[in-house]
Amino acid sequence: MITLVTGGTKCGKSGYAEKVLENFRGPKYYIATMNPVGDDADEIIARHRESRRNKNYITLECPRDVDKLDLPIGCGVLLECIGNLCANEMYVGGNIFRPSDKIISNLKSLGETASEFVIVTNEVGCDGNSYSADLMAYVSEIAHINSRIAEFADNVVECVYGIPVALKGRLV
Amino acid sequence: MKFVIGGAYQGKIDTACEMFGLKESDMVNGSTCDFEEVFTAKCIKSYHRIIARLMAQGVSPVDFTKRLCLENSGAVIIMDEIGCGIVPVEKSERKRREETGRCGCIISSASDTVIRVICGIPVFLKGGRDED
Repeated sequence: MITLVTGGTKCGKSGYAEKVLENFRGPKYYIATMNPVGDDADEIIARHRESRRNKNYITLECPRDVDKLDLPIGCGVLLECIGNLCANEMYVGGNIFRPSDKIISNLKSLGETASEFVIVTNEVGCDGNSYSADLMAYVSEIAHINSRIAEFADNVVECVYGIPVALKGRLV
Repeated sequence: MKFVIGGAYQGKIDTACEMFGLKESDMVNGSTCDFEEVFTAKCIKSYHRIIARLMAQGVSPVDFTKRLCLENSGAVIIMDEIGCGIVPVEKSERKRREETGRCGCIISSASDTVIRVICGIPVFLKGGRDED
C-alpha cells in the first residue's frame, strides 16, 4: 500500500504516518530528507527522533537522490517529507532545477520495493501570497509531485488540526 | 467544545450561528478581546489572532489553550486554518504558524464537533449534525 499524507504545519501528519506503520511486521525504514542545516533543523530533528524512539525504525538520512537507497523488497518505508526533498533537489549549488519528474519516478520505484510506503508531504499553496518566480516554481513543483503521487497512491489523507481526512482510499 | 475552522472569509461565523444557535453579539473577538474573557465566553472568533497576541506577550498559546479547554469546555471556537503555505522566512512567524497548528490539534481533540467551512459549506470532520 502507498499512502500520501498531506496537510498544514503541526497538524499531525507525522503522527498519522507513524500510525500507518505501527503494526507493520518486517524492517521499517525512516527516510529523513531534511538537510540538517539552519535555525530550526536541530530542534525539528530532535523532536521527530523522540517521536520515533522505540518504534523500531532504521533511520536513513537522504536529503536527495532517494533512488540511490538500497532497500529490501517488502520492507516498510516512511519518507518525510516532500517539501524538504524537493527543496534539496531543486536548489543545488546556486543552480535551480525542476526536480518533480525525477522525484515522482524515484518514489514510484520505492513504492514497488516497499510493501507499505508512507509519504509525508506539505500543503504549501494555500497562503495566497505571491512570492518570487523561483519560490513559485517550488510551490508548483510540490503541487505537481503531490498530484502525481496521489494518482498512484492507494490512500491520500489530509491531516486537519489533528484530524485525518481520507481524500482517497481509507484511513487506518 | 465545538470547533469551526476554515480559510478566511469562508462563512465560519454564519455557520457557527446557524449550527449552534448563536448571534454574532455572543462572540468575543480574538483580535481585540481581553485574554481572560475567553474563559467564560460562549463563542470566540478569530482564535488564531489570540495565539498571535499571546506570543507577542511571551505567553505560551499551548498552555493557554489547554486551560481554555478545561475551563470553558462548552465554548464554540472559530479559527482560521493558516498552516498550508510556504514556511515563513521570519522565525517568529514560523513559530506562530506552528503554535497555531498545535493549538488547533488541542482544540479539535477536546471538541465533540469539528466543522470545516469551505465556500460557505460546512464539512463535518468530527461528530455530525445528529449529535448537535
